[in-house]
Amino acid sequence: MGENHSFRTQPDEQPNQLRLLIMLHNIGATESTKALTIDQIAEWTRMETPELQGHLQKLIDLGYAQLLRSEEKDKFYLTINGIRKVLSLYS
Amino acid sequence: MKIGTLSWEFPPRVVGGIARHCEGLAKAQIQQGHDVHLFTLDFPGSPSYEEMDGIKVYRASTELGHPNFLTWVLLFNHFLSKRMADLTQLVDFDVMHVHDWLAAFSGITFKHYIKKPMVLTVHSTEVGRAQGLHSPDSFSINGIEWWATYEADRVIVCSHSMKEEICNHFNLPEKKIDVIPNAIDSSKYQISVDRGAIRQRYGVGWGEKLILCVGRLVPQKGVEYFIRAIPQIAQRHPEAKYIIVGEGWSRDILEAEAKATGHADKIRFTGFASDREVINLMTSADALIVPSIYEPFGIVALEGMATGVPVVASKVGGLAEIIDHEKTGLFVYPRNIDSIAWGIDKILSDPDHARWLTKNAKEKLHKAYSWEAVAMKTVEVYRKVVE
Repeated sequence: MGENHSFRTQPDEQPNQLRLLIMLHNIGATESTKALTIDQIAEWTRMETPELQGHLQKLIDLGYAQLLRSEEKDKFYLTINGIRKVLSLYS
Repeated sequence: MKIGTLSWEFPPRVVGGIARHCEGLAKAQIQQGHDVHLFTLDFPGSPSYEEMDGIKVYRASTELGHPNFLTWVLLFNHFLSKRMADLTQLVDFDVMHVHDWLAAFSGITFKHYIKKPMVLTVHSTEVGRAQGLHSPDSFSINGIEWWATYEADRVIVCSHSMKEEICNHFNLPEKKIDVIPNAIDSSKYQISVDRGAIRQRYGVGWGEKLILCVGRLVPQKGVEYFIRAIPQIAQRHPEAKYIIVGEGWSRDILEAEAKATGHADKIRFTGFASDREVINLMTSADALIVPSIYEPFGIVALEGMATGVPVVASKVGGLAEIIDHEKTGLFVYPRNIDSIAWGIDKILSDPDHARWLTKNAKEKLHKAYSWEAVAMKTVEVYRKVVE
């Protein structure tokens, strides 16, 4: 962070994990009942699945996202800490 | 009065100071006999309607999403409006009170729909938060903020520095603005805390010092300058430990800064903490640093004053109006690591002086910052537009 940092950069300039976190929030994956599959997330974010898997795993490791295991397909949603991290951008 | 309040955050959806402000204000308005209906957004685990200490809380669920934040804001305002539309059939509101730009669309819609006045509280501005307008979204948010101040019948800000900022930036006439400071519920801070146990829980041993920093981890809070001051502080006080409480988008960057100081083993990031835990920590700390570079008010300084921890704060914005230098706390220069290190060293090196500062701070707090006073002043503003 330099002296002349921008607090809210363009989406393309945001680190991909933060960008993904923001997108997951804004498209509504904020509770287990609203969890999304990796295919649904890929459609919204236009990210390739392998890249997306890596970022989602990192978000899970950091405590910002949660994996919901299901017999059909795994789904993902934000934790409360993940939601707070996103909202901190705009408050 | 029948008051309709709009805010994108309300407990347990706590992001910054707006949620606590709305809660404190609404509770005091209820105690003064007003009827408060508060419209906000949903949050995991919270009901769509509940009464909290008499406040009727309506949480709108956003059924549509969009990756772009601004589009999402427009969408959630639609769902807020829907919730309000249902209620305005049943309740004849006297005034709508909107907090910040995020809920402005709904507020402006209802001002025109129900033909009732709208009061806007500007808690901060985009140009201040972002230290400039660096992206198309920032320009749009800035435009929405201007639009909301234009549409509002009156505008409330929490400090004279904010009044000056919005007068200059939005060309708003001074006479349209009321300054009403924030407040805290000081009874919340008068609790018994086992300092030793709390310090031990956070790895602060006997004879060690605890320096606390509380706030959202975003650049405007200036936490990076505090972290960079730690090597200097550690030279004079090798026994000091540093706890940084809060969550935010720049946490990863700040954790990297902490590693770069060579003192990472003494610096702990706790993430978001409950109100009770913040009080525990403040009561147990030897100094509270508020290193903000932009701060419309600075409620964390009031919280520190209430718990009796010596406050070292940047002389910016509202902080400059809360603290009297060398009387109720210490000022340091913003973005200045030498100055921050000086302030903390002064507190740690002279405990008698630090105690004297906290005694003065508590006296000032009780006289000047209560929710009852804020609620009365706010209702006076409502009366100006209703009559």
